[in-house]
Amino acid sequence: MGADTDEELVRRIGTGDAAAVQAMVARKLPRVLALATRMLGDAAEAEDVAQETFVRIWRHASGWRQGHARFDTWIHRVALNLCYDRLRRRREWTTDELPEVADEAPLPDAMPGDEGRRVSQALQRIAPRQREAIVLVYYQELSNIEAAGAMQVSVDALESLLARGRRSLQAMLVGDDGDD
Amino acid sequence: MADERKTVEVPLDARRFAALADAYGSALHRWPPAEQAAAMLFAKTDEGRAILAGAARLDAILGRHSVEAPSPTLHGAIVARAATEVRQERRRRFWWLGFGLAGVGLAGAVAGLALVTVVNPDIQSDHYAMDTNATSFGDAGPEADPYEEDL
Repeated sequence: MGADTDEELVRRIGTGDAAAVQAMVARKLPRVLALATRMLGDAAEAEDVAQETFVRIWRHASGWRQGHARFDTWIHRVALNLCYDRLRRRREWTTDELPEVADEAPLPDAMPGDEGRRVSQALQRIAPRQREAIVLVYYQELSNIEAAGAMQVSVDALESLLARGRRSLQAMLVGDDGDD
Repeated sequence: MADERKTVEVPLDARRFAALADAYGSALHRWPPAEQAAAMLFAKTDEGRAILAGAARLDAILGRHSVEAPSPTLHGAIVARAATEVRQERRRRFWWLGFGLAGVGLAGAVAGLALVTVVNPDIQSDHYAMDTNATSFGDAGPEADPYEEDL
């Protein structure tokens, strides 16, 4: 797959090409769903966000023009905005100050096979902006510049969010796992 | 926002190496590209190995979190909506284009009319020519009102 054949797919979608639609969904849905699941910690809400993200893709397809951002970065931005809409509705904090000091107590040990849920809980306990940085760089494998672009912050700010997020996760997850 | 400073190769010391490990974890491929070469060299030192080992513990735990693949139902629902949305958007764009063209045409007609008025302002001159002595109320010349002359 070429570096930016996303743009070619979008162009074909804009002309009503059904095969391009299938290809786009196959390529991007797992990424969008993973992003939303980790941001929201709720599978059903993540599916809603994924659907809404694709509706925006379909609506923009016929008029898509590449600006500064790659298409993949643009999708991340759209999905993140939708996630934040839902987080706001839950009255969660969207800044990174208060939750950072709110809850860093180590989580209980996971039962075998349950480590993933423990990580999910920990991700939900850190500040959303820190979570966003970690999800983009660690799980979505965006480069630091792409992640900073999607978050509309500088690379230095991204690094700060990452470091603070990882420190919080370390306290929750590795505190009782450090003797390995 | 791209940070231009990060595209310049810079030497790494232990402090910067630890800061990068704190932020990006133990996998050097996630580190800023401009610092990866220097990081690989530093990673071979005892200090570098110790820093990466600490970061790797958290990475291993984070790696245990996986997300289930999208269900065929979700995939199908998204695909099914595409045709409608794309068609509606194209129709909407078509109408806006039509409105735009109509607007341009209208603007052209108005501009043309204005131009004709400016270039040829005497278009009604053969209907009535104002005399220098005329007013809106009629000719106010010397012969027009002998009564005024008496004053």
